[in-house]
Amino acid sequence: MRKAVKLATIGLAAASLSACVQTRQVADLQFTPPQGEYKLLVMRPDVTVGSVKAGGLTEPRADWTEAARANILAALRAQQAGRGGQTLIMNRRDSLPGISADTVAELERLHNAVGSSIALHKFAGAELPTKRGKGLDYTLGEDAVKLGRATGYDYALFLHAEDSFADSGRVAMQVLGIAGCFVGFCAPNIGGGGQSAYASLVDLRTGEVVWFNVLQAGTQVAGIKMGDLRKPEGATQMVDRLLGRMKPGRDVRRAQAAAERAK
Amino acid sequence: MSLDFSRRAMLAGGAAALVAGPASARISPASLKPLIGPGYRPVDTDEKGLWQQMERVEEEVAGSNLLIRDPALNRYLQGLIGKVGGPAAKDMRIYLARVPEFNAMMFPTGFTVFFSGLLLRMRDEAQLAGVIAHESSHFLLRHQIRSWRDTKRKSNILTALSMAAGIAGGATGTYTGDLVRLAELGTILTLFRYSRQLEAEADAMGVKLIAEAGYAPLSMSETWDQLITELEWSAKERRKRVDRGYSLFATHPAPRARLDDLRISARELTVAGRSYDRGRERYLQALQPIRQTLFDDQVKLNDPGASQYIVETLAKDGWNGTLLFYRGEVHRLRNGVAYQQAAAQSYAQAVTYPDAPADAWRWHGVMLMKQGRASEGRTALQRYLAMAPNAPDAPFVRQMIQS
Repeated sequence: MRKAVKLATIGLAAASLSACVQTRQVADLQFTPPQGEYKLLVMRPDVTVGSVKAGGLTEPRADWTEAARANILAALRAQQAGRGGQTLIMNRRDSLPGISADTVAELERLHNAVGSSIALHKFAGAELPTKRGKGLDYTLGEDAVKLGRATGYDYALFLHAEDSFADSGRVAMQVLGIAGCFVGFCAPNIGGGGQSAYASLVDLRTGEVVWFNVLQAGTQVAGIKMGDLRKPEGATQMVDRLLGRMKPGRDVRRAQAAAERAK
Repeated sequence: MSLDFSRRAMLAGGAAALVAGPASARISPASLKPLIGPGYRPVDTDEKGLWQQMERVEEEVAGSNLLIRDPALNRYLQGLIGKVGGPAAKDMRIYLARVPEFNAMMFPTGFTVFFSGLLLRMRDEAQLAGVIAHESSHFLLRHQIRSWRDTKRKSNILTALSMAAGIAGGATGTYTGDLVRLAELGTILTLFRYSRQLEAEADAMGVKLIAEAGYAPLSMSETWDQLITELEWSAKERRKRVDRGYSLFATHPAPRARLDDLRISARELTVAGRSYDRGRERYLQALQPIRQTLFDDQVKLNDPGASQYIVETLAKDGWNGTLLFYRGEVHRLRNGVAYQQAAAQSYAQAVTYPDAPADAWRWHGVMLMKQGRASEGRTALQRYLAMAPNAPDAPFVRQMIQS
């Protein structure tokens, strides 16, 4: 027992000091990643980049956000082009010909609600008993189908990304916290920003949210960057981590495995 | 304003110097000057970041289905900002949301959201102009960015002090945790005090703005008096204490103190012999298309103390059919024979006025029938049907008349 506690403590300490990148995706049971000649609509990506102050408050930075947004859009374009999909990235709510900005806004808000629900019940641990073992069982309903019918797009991708960086004051606090360890006051892990993002793929033919992925890239050590959205490489890395390895749904994977075995 | 302190920031430190002192004295309107001119754009990094986020917020607000979109009314409100918005009058936008509460908020980029409940409570244009001027002052004095910088500075100091205290404690072998908790509380208190100071500034500058625009400066303190008394009535009906929400941590100044300050400032700014505009007719005309909805929303809040106070406050300018009808509604929705009788009486009075809404005739009829005065009741209900032949309950009322 004692040993277990000790091990757990060491494990916790190690985890709290380490930097990590984590993604977790959930998919509809029958989900197959889009391939071939599909048409993808990327809904106005929601990006914020800020600076973490010494006291721990995050201050939004307009210039960093602009740079990150541009980088993410470029990375998305490059990635989707490589897959053979035909992609339209919406920059504004009215950048879809023939569709009013209000319609897009409604869908964005609806997705906000559904997406938060997915985040809460699939990722934050508050699992719903009625949705257990059902993969991703959420839908945007008729609104999404209507948009698909009106525009001819097969999928809509919703993307949210935020990133923050410790400023020099925050780094100094951390150094001070570690220095304190020598006199018996240890506060090494005050945290120093990090990246979090999610992507959500909606099938516009059925209205269902078919795939959802959450990315966390953070560090407990202020000043260490886990990919920097302000730079093209960092954005490419983020887009790849988030969307690069789309797993098929459970039923599809099982069928594939069965086919493999049959061979 | 939300305060987001991490637990770690609360770690350690003796920042007793940050603990709030006594409340600050009244701010003289003459001492305040607008900090921005027309067409202001942010130059500093932190303010640019704030503006960028707020543009997104405004987009959401502008597309919200809570907004009341009556074009004439919105033009009227925009026109009022134009009158009392000081040098930035042209840069400000106003959105009217259908929320039956007394509230308004200004965002750092110069757009403001007004709740419809506020409009219901204003007796005239001068009172509304006062609230608009108060919100405009937040923008003119750049309160949001100042408040953000204050929060940032204090949380930075607290963290640094906590760290230093922890290390000092570690080195000397003493426990500093209690001191730290005191410092935390001190920091939070100064943050609230700062925000109270900003509210007081907005009050002072607001009075100045409406006085310059020719509105009665005293109208602002009247508004506050109304709000405070309404809260008192509401609390009394619910058998609750009124001071809840105005505790140590409230972001706004203590209401009574605020009222007194506003009164003194108004007296300072009132020029003897000058006639000030109240704009009651203009105001009622602009509000006409939505006024009934506002009353309905308020009555349905099931806050009889507040609703009754609002009706009676508006009736200070004279009773009419609408006000009497809604007084009846407030009574009718309560339990007890006395309330039902009072409701019947109000409806009976309401229908003697030419502006009585159709619903007043319906309830008047129903109440008469309950009292056993069937033929009078039928006449009243027929009047209702004549005024609202397509009402959803019209077939039901016809049935009532026949039986």
